[in-house]
Amino acid sequence: MMWQRWWERVRQDPVTLAALVLIMLFFGVACGSWLGLIGGGWSDTSSLLRGGFSAEHWFGTNAIGQDIFQRAVFGTGVAFQVGVSVALGATLLGAVFGSLAGYFHQRAGDGLIGWLMGVIESIPFYLLVAALAFAMQGHNLAMYLAMTLAFWTTTARLVRAETIRLRQMPFVEAARTLGVGQSAILSRHILPNTSHLLLIQFTITFVGAVKAEVVLSFLGLGIQDGVSWGLMIAESTSDLLAGHFSNFLVASISLFLLVMALNLLADAMQDALDPRFSHPADPGPAEPSPAEPSHGT
Amino acid sequence: MNTSGLVRHGLLQAVALVLGVTFLGFLLMVYFAPDLSYQLAGKNPTAEQIQQIRQQLGYDQPLPVRYLQYLQELATFDFGYSDSSGERVTALLARTLPVSAALLLPGFILGHILAMGLGAVAAYGRGRWTDRLIAVVSGTGMSISFIVVMIAFQLVFASSYGLNWFPARGWQWATPAQYLSHVAVPTLTILFVSSGYNTRFYRAVFVEQIGQDYVKAARAFGYSRTRTFFRVILPNSLLPVLTRVLYSVPAILVGGSLLLESYFGIPGVGKSTFDAITSGDQPVLKAVIALSSLALAVVMLSVDRLYRVVDPRLRG
Repeated sequence: MMWQRWWERVRQDPVTLAALVLIMLFFGVACGSWLGLIGGGWSDTSSLLRGGFSAEHWFGTNAIGQDIFQRAVFGTGVAFQVGVSVALGATLLGAVFGSLAGYFHQRAGDGLIGWLMGVIESIPFYLLVAALAFAMQGHNLAMYLAMTLAFWTTTARLVRAETIRLRQMPFVEAARTLGVGQSAILSRHILPNTSHLLLIQFTITFVGAVKAEVVLSFLGLGIQDGVSWGLMIAESTSDLLAGHFSNFLVASISLFLLVMALNLLADAMQDALDPRFSHPADPGPAEPSPAEPSHGT
Repeated sequence: MNTSGLVRHGLLQAVALVLGVTFLGFLLMVYFAPDLSYQLAGKNPTAEQIQQIRQQLGYDQPLPVRYLQYLQELATFDFGYSDSSGERVTALLARTLPVSAALLLPGFILGHILAMGLGAVAAYGRGRWTDRLIAVVSGTGMSISFIVVMIAFQLVFASSYGLNWFPARGWQWATPAQYLSHVAVPTLTILFVSSGYNTRFYRAVFVEQIGQDYVKAARAFGYSRTRTFFRVILPNSLLPVLTRVLYSVPAILVGGSLLLESYFGIPGVGKSTFDAITSGDQPVLKAVIALSSLALAVVMLSVDRLYRVVDPRLRG
């Protein structure tokens, strides 16, 4: 019913519809890259250094003659891989800890989880990632782990608040009266009713992860093998000095389009599914989302 | 709960948070950090030499002992000397913190003022074209990566491919003119990116205020729009605004400006922290973790006080 309402809104809103189409296009490119259909030649070098647009190299070539289009395509696959895995992990953690904290509201468990969230949110995000990356000795998964660890708390806070509200609703009371166990109440009656929050948070975390990957790869803490939009932007700074802009433009425009489309989708979902935010304010803590170094990190 | 109970509760929370942050930070950044003894020992060290260095750096102690030593250092705020440069850690902080503050404050302050203005215009024009235009602008600001803005602004304002008004990188602040020319591009970057998020926040705050009865009453009494905004809406919005502003202070202070500092080559605290992580410089890391957790504790405690100053209802 909720989803029908959402779809009705989307159908009438050309902007959201366009965003949805754009996301599907990017996803198609990502799938093509995963299946090895396109972007397979991202690391092949050619003799054409910093070449312009041509039929052979659609977006030109970089400083060592690699095809920028193929690299951007491969980077799309990486962006989705990072976005989906971090968003899945963080949303799952947020749902579990958030619902537990909410269900055991004002008891020891709630306090403990609240303390843990406060501690994690207090450590500057990039320090956390850098420290974890070095502690894991530059392991490929360090970035994924650090982002998941840093991003689940916002979701948990929202789910906790919703659980506290739902816990007092008559249908939960009824289930309890009928002798339904605590874990069944949580998993069958409370969590399904937070699905709209989880979906919105999944999208927002996806955006955060894609943007953070770019920053981390730029700092040398992100993707270790392969190529990503962040690595393209990092390598493009020397191209810019030589007056060759296409590497930088292709990577940053791809990043912008995907993030913008996901942001628009998240807004539309929030408008339709979460009646309290008829116009969304930041649902998170007082700080901007950890994914965004908005204060100059 | 009475007032002293509230204060004690807040203090307890702050202490728990400081202990948690310092422990997790210690575990990640110091205990699991790369072992420096082989690097410091020079070529072909004997087992004895390595043992000696490990003892010097405290690697041979068990975790609880090392953490307790750290807490002792925290209490006296004396973290010794940097492993890589030999500089006193407190001196290093005293040298780098003002640079970071000077780098970030103009963008932070101007960003909030700009966002407040845009948020107010959008809130008053709810659903009209001004609101939509501002939503597009702030949505764009939220969707562009900080790095992209930083590089693009450097290209536009500080390179021969663009206006070439400012130095491309580096940091000098002996005279106001030098300071302004070096802080300009970072400030524009912060303004652009942070106003995206902040405008949304202020719009939401103001929209909620505009619907309140006391705002309607003020208008009915003949207050002009401007007067209502500054005398009624703004004071009543102080709680969420204060929270947002104050809670972003520790992040600015410490994590602060890693990207700006490393890209523009500015000797601030973000850059030295990052260097400390990559080189395993434990004394510096310990100091930075301590500083960020203490700053947070101070903010947590002062927010409660400030709430009571700002909002008479909470004085009780």
